[in-house]
Parts: sequence; C-alpha cells; structure tokens
Amino acid sequence: MSAIQSAFPGAVLESRVESDRRLWITVDPKRLVEITQFLRDKKDFDHYSGAAGVDRINENLFEVVEILTSHGAHQVVVLMKVKVPRDKPSVRSLTGLYWNANWYEREIWEMFGINFEGHPELYPLLLPDELVGYWPWRKDFKGYPDTTTGERAIEQVGPDGYTEFKIMPHTELIKAGVLPERPKYPTFREREEAEIKSDSEMIMHMGPQHAIVPGPFLLDLLIEGERVKKAFLDVGYIHKGIEKIMENRTYLQGIVYTDRMCYLASITNNEAYCGAVERLLGITPPERAQYIRVILAELSRIQSHLLGTGEFLTLLGAATYSPFQYMIIDREDIVYLMESITGARITHTFVRFGGVRNDLPDGFADKARPILKRMRERTEEYMDLLHSDPIYTRRMRGIGVLSPGDARRLGVSGPPLRASDTPYDMRREDPILVYPDLDFKVVTRKAGDAEARVEVRLEEILESIHIIEQCLDQIPDGPIQEKLPKKIKPEPGEAYYRVEDPRGEMGIYVVSDGSEKPYRVKVRGPVYAYMQALPPLLEGAYVADVVAIAGSMDACTSEVDR
Amino acid sequence: MYLSTIIETVSAWAAQEPKIYALAIGLIGAAIISAVINIGAMAVVWLERKFLGDIQARFGPNRVGSRWGLLQLGADAIKLFTKEDSIPRGADKPVYVWAPIIASITTMLVAAAIPFGALRIDGKDYPLVVANMDISAFYVEAALSIMTIAVFMAGFSSNNKYSMLGAFRGIARMIAYEVPMGVCVIAVALMAHSLNLVEIVESQTLWYAFAQPLGFIIFTIALVTDLGRIPFDQSEAEEEIIAGYTTEYGGIRWGLLYFQEYINMLLGSILLVLLFLGGWNGPSIPVITVLSPMVWFLMKVLIVLIFLIWVRGSLVRFRIDQVTDLGWKWMLPLSLVNLAWAAFVGLYFA
Repeated sequence: MSAIQSAFPGAVLESRVESDRRLWITVDPKRLVEITQFLRDKKDFDHYSGAAGVDRINENLFEVVEILTSHGAHQVVVLMKVKVPRDKPSVRSLTGLYWNANWYEREIWEMFGINFEGHPELYPLLLPDELVGYWPWRKDFKGYPDTTTGERAIEQVGPDGYTEFKIMPHTELIKAGVLPERPKYPTFREREEAEIKSDSEMIMHMGPQHAIVPGPFLLDLLIEGERVKKAFLDVGYIHKGIEKIMENRTYLQGIVYTDRMCYLASITNNEAYCGAVERLLGITPPERAQYIRVILAELSRIQSHLLGTGEFLTLLGAATYSPFQYMIIDREDIVYLMESITGARITHTFVRFGGVRNDLPDGFADKARPILKRMRERTEEYMDLLHSDPIYTRRMRGIGVLSPGDARRLGVSGPPLRASDTPYDMRREDPILVYPDLDFKVVTRKAGDAEARVEVRLEEILESIHIIEQCLDQIPDGPIQEKLPKKIKPEPGEAYYRVEDPRGEMGIYVVSDGSEKPYRVKVRGPVYAYMQALPPLLEGAYVADVVAIAGSMDACTSEVDR
Repeated sequence: MYLSTIIETVSAWAAQEPKIYALAIGLIGAAIISAVINIGAMAVVWLERKFLGDIQARFGPNRVGSRWGLLQLGADAIKLFTKEDSIPRGADKPVYVWAPIIASITTMLVAAAIPFGALRIDGKDYPLVVANMDISAFYVEAALSIMTIAVFMAGFSSNNKYSMLGAFRGIARMIAYEVPMGVCVIAVALMAHSLNLVEIVESQTLWYAFAQPLGFIIFTIALVTDLGRIPFDQSEAEEEIIAGYTTEYGGIRWGLLYFQEYINMLLGSILLVLLFLGGWNGPSIPVITVLSPMVWFLMKVLIVLIFLIWVRGSLVRFRIDQVTDLGWKWMLPLSLVNLAWAAFVGLYFA
C-alpha cells in the first residue's frame, strides 16, 4: 500500500486495509494502467481475477472495480476502484496488461455502457444484439421493452416461414427520434466469416445444441479438413441476469439465486455469497456450522468431479462407454448423503448468514464413513482403469497442453490450473471456515494436458474424502446459527469473498447501501475464465481433440451466463 | 436314410438340368437369406441392447414383449416405417435416396456368397450356401467395400458439414483397413489352397486362428474397423459430428442405414468364424447329429458377437488420424509379415 503511494504520489485517492488479505484502493482513472503495471511487474500481482462495474447513481458516478491478486507469491487481493463520471464514462482498458481482462471489460461495457479505451474487440458478450445500447444494469434502466409502457414482444414471420418473437425498440422513442445511441460493431457472424481465407476452410458449428456442450453455448470452429484453425465462442444463450435480480431481492432471498448459478456447485455458491454478506455484517458462524459447511462443500466437490469426469468420458467414446454409469451410481451415494443433511439433491439453499439451516441428522457419521470408504476404493479403481487404458491415454496425453505460464496468463483456475503445475487453491490462498485446521494437500500435475486435468479431479476426490473424514472426527457440539435480527441490514460497505468451487476460484463481491437489498452483487465464476481460455486452446487441434479439450475443462454454461 | 435319398434325387436332377437348378436355388436362397439375415440382425440388435445394458448397469429394453423386451425391435421398426419421410432442401435428391438402398444391396450381395452353416448327413457336411463360387472369399471382401460408396453417397448428398466430415472419415478409415484385411484373407487362402469359403472351412483341421495368430488379430481389428464400431466409429462420432454421414437421414431411410451396420456385424462375425475359427467344424453331437455343425457354428458366431459388443462397452474412441496411422503403419506391414508366415507354414502343411 505504502509502496503504491510512494511510487505514485497523488494517484491514490482513498484506501482501506481490511485485513492482511484485502486491500481496497481508489485510484485516479488517468493513472490506472501505470499503477496496474507497477503492481503486476513489481509486486507480483500476476492474476487478474475479474472486474465489476457499480452504478453509483446518487453520486452520478460509475465505479469499475478491478480485482487483482497473485498466483501464490502472496495472498493479498487488491480491489482497485476507478470512479468515472456518468455521462460519457470511459476507462483505460487493461487488456494490454492482462489477456483475460477482455471478457470482463466487454461485460461491463455491454451492461453499463462504460467505454474501455484501447480494448481490441469491444463487442457484446452476453447480451443479444437488440439489447446493446440500453445498458441494462444501470440503475435507471426501465426494462426492455420499457415495462412502464406495457409493450410486449412482437410476433414476426420471417422469409423462411419460421415465426420469431422480436422485441422492437420503443415506438415512442422512434417517433420522438431519441432512440438511444446504438454502438456500431460487426456481429458475431460477420466476425467469424471474415476469417475464412480459402475455399478449403469452413465453419462448423458445435452448439448451441450439440453433444459436447454442457449447456447452450455456441462454439464455431473454422476448420480445414480435420484441423481447427480458429475457434469462436459465443455465450449468453441462457443469461439469467442473476446479479441484477439479486439487487431487487432481500439478502436472504438472494441465496436461492446463487443455487441456480451452477447446479453442481450450489453449496459453494451459497457459501461464497453468505460469506460475503457475513463479512458485511461482521459476524463469523459458530464452529459446528463451519464444520458442516466444510463437509457439504467437500461432498459437493466429490459429486461435481464425478459427474464432470463421467460426462467427459462419454464424450470420448459415445454414450456406451461404461464408467459413466458407474460414476453416476457412485455419485448417487454422495448425493444421498447431501440429501440427508439438506433435504435437496441439487439446489440446497442450505448455508445461512452466520450458520447453516439444519444440524447434521443423527448418526450421520456412521452412515457417511462406509460410503466414503467405498468411494475411495472406487476412485482408486477409476484412476487405475483410465491410467491403464492405451486408447484413453493416446487420446488424452499431450492434448490441449496449457503450460504453467499460459495457464496463469489465460486466467484459468481450479483443476485446469493445478494440472499445469500451479498449486493455487482458494482453500490455501484465502482460507475460510475451518480449512486452516484441516490437513489436505493441493493436488497438482506437471503435464498440463487433458489427461492431467482429469487426474487432478479424481485425486481431489480422494483429498475431499480425507477432509470429510477429519471433519467427522473433529466436529464439536454447539450451536449452528449466530443470533441475527429478522431483517438483515448490513452497514454500507462492500466485501469480496472467495471460495474454492469444484471448478476453481469463485468470488462474490457484494456492495451494500445500508438497505435490505444488496446494492450490487458481482459473481466471479471459474467457468467464465475457462470459457474465455477455450478458443486459443483449441487452435491447431483436431476436431476430435476439441471434444477432449472442452470436456476436460468441465465447463458449466449456467454459471457463465449467470 | 431318406435324407440321403432326397439328396441323391436332387443332385441327379441338378446334373440333368443345371440351369433350372441354379435358378431355383437362387430364388429360394434369396428369399431364405433375406429372411435369415434380417431376423438375425434384429436378434443382434436385441442382444446388443440387452448386453450393453448389463455392462452399463441398466436394464435395456424390458417393456415391449415380455420382460426381455423381445418385441422392442418390431415396435421400433413400425415406428421408423410410419415416420414422416423428409428430404433436406439442399440435398442431392437421387443420391440421397439411393444411398441407403445401395447399402442394403451391398449386404445382400455379401450374404449371397456366405455359407450359413451346414447340415451333417451320413457323416458328410452339406454347407448351406446360395452362391458357392470358387472365389467367394475374395468376392465377399470386394462386396463389403462397396459399403464405402454408400457411406460417401449418404455423406455427400446430405449437404451438411457433419455428414461430409463423417463421410471423409469413413472413407479414410475403410481404405486404410480394407488392405490389411484383404491381405489376411489372402494368407488364409494360401494355407487353404482355395478362395472358396466352403473349402477354407473344410481345410481347417487346425483353426487358422492358431495357425496364424497374427493374421487373426489383424483381421479382427480390421473387421471392427470395417463395421464402424467403437473404438473405430469416427464416421458417426456423436460427440463430434452429431451422427456423421447419417445426420440428415430420418425415418426408415435412417433405419436402413442403421440396420445395415447390424447386418454387417452379423455377416462380419460369420466371416471371422469361417476364416479363422473353423466354421462349422466340430465333433458330432448325439441325437441331433444332423444339426451338430449348425450348433457349433452358431455358438462361435454368438461368441464373436458378444466379443464385439463387449469391446463397444469398454473402450473409448480413437481419433481419426490415429486410426489411419495404425492402419497404414502397423496393420499393413504386420499383415504382410503374416502373409510371409502363412506362405512358409502353408508349404509345410501342404
């Protein structure tokens, strides 16, 4: 902190040291790039974790919060804010310094209309083309079509006979000639067709409905024969606007929405949101609740990894490749354990501010131990099976290699990053709950290829089992819920909280303005980062490798389009 | 015995009127064969669905036709026949329509020359074959490769990128494996001193699977490849190119293409049994002496089929370049080694 101040006198407008892991600073927009470069080169802030836009309508300002941290050199997270005026907002782009700033800045641009100077491809990412220019996440957005005028989508029959439902621009605005200024940009289709250089190349669609996609997204491959020359990714097909919805719900209601971001990681998503709100409220849950939360988080990691790996294996060898079914059967045991605690199989909504909803059922430990023991044996068997399969290793070894440097540069986290020899795990980097008391190791692999990613996942199952067994031994008796007022109204402020999702680094940034509803919630999901890294990874691969690479990333579209 | 009297009468008549005899055998045989291989292939489909179900810890068909789902395929066939017949707008119509028909014709051509077992009468085996030609092994090989043309027609005419890629993959794969497969057949013919499938079976006092194990392994792998089954089903890899060359087909046209694969699977297993596993050779079984070669034959075919299904349930798919790589760089040289081996050992046997 003081280093920044001495290096850039006058550039730091405001600063707050929350703990030894969080540093909030507000900097001069003109010197943003310089300061970031200083942090990256001199202070090892080599991980651009994300960015959030906040619309401070009362102060007539936009805030852009850049979240910077390091891949293991230190554990400080800098949340660097830039404030720009609301009319003609413009910020210098950080894409020159961090490759993965690209998508985060595009999202802020399309949602808030904050221009990023020097951004190479400022095209909409999540929004459909009709909506660009309305800046839907601004606080003064009235709905599209404007909910106050009662307009609805209009039915249109296209030239090919298909009926489309189109949302037309407001008729009043057209009449008055005050349509919002529509930014000009080439559409997705035009951009990808511009890349076709010869007759032997063609564009092949994978998605939005295709066997490899875990949810609707469009992966277009520019191929020449079987070689992929370039890949284009279009997401946003199931964008739900959860962040905006949560601004209109009370804090407690928000938990339900975090479940829906990714159905395999609902417990960790709950945890991230509740953790952030707990920081705002300044409370810590009782120890027993912390243990229950850890047990559930690890159970959800096991079941997510099992499904991810199983699903991925079916991609390699049609749906007839049998280990998938066995993994699903094993997963069923784990889901049964979770169900016995939370009462739900997928959307748990179990974590609460300052505790959990229920206590563990009677005899949970006795029920869990044999299941975990069996799970361990089975996982070892799977690892053995995959390791000894010559066709599997031929398909996977050396495919989609991410070198440690590349993996960090592309901003991936979780198993893909750890498979690239980077022991970066939120449970270590940003310890929460009772993780510091537990013994576990961060699984890494050197190779960085698709095989290593699957191996990391399978071995993490073993680590999770180890963690749960320790929790079952150590869990104390006591209350499971802090006393809280009926209406949760945190003091104005902001908090950023990170957890290790089954897929990687999940961070939630919550801004409170002192009311019952959060002022802004920003989700930094791990899959968003993978998806961004996918196109460069696919270049030069075979069509069949696309399946191996995309599958080994274990994506979840639902979370990208949260 | 009256059976032998019938045979004597028939052969006497055949000697008298060879043309009418050939015509009659051809007509009756064609009717019987189309019935047998279609019902046989349905049985194969049922077997695969049931056995794969077992491998994957699920049930397989268990509603239509008792708890074994025996009538499931009938129901599927009715469904396919009654579905709307659609042809994509941009398709090359005649080619699109003829592709499945050519595929069916191919399998019929193959089936014509294949002996479906034998009957043992007075200690002598009478093979059940329609066209017992001198070069039947070679002919079957040649007819099987016509399938490539059907695949290409289907892929090319559909006007679809996935279909096209699937057809390319199918052809690259089939060419790479027809050659070693053919060389293996030649090696067998060398040992048997004949290209006639019946004579090849009769000459197998020692199964050729033991006389030339290398050839047996190569032929089996090439056969799986030719059938387009996992791990060699790149031409219709669902996860990459939707359904490969069959993407644009629907209803009974798709049904025909799909069914050819299973007919081919049945014929391929029979071919493997005939060439390498001693065909219908086996000791006589008391009581059903007449049928004993059939019993041995069907048992072997069943074992080969189950092996093929098992492979499908337990392996992942190769990448197409790995397949052709394996074919040209390993299978072909090894099949030539096997040919040399067969030539030397064949001399010794003779």
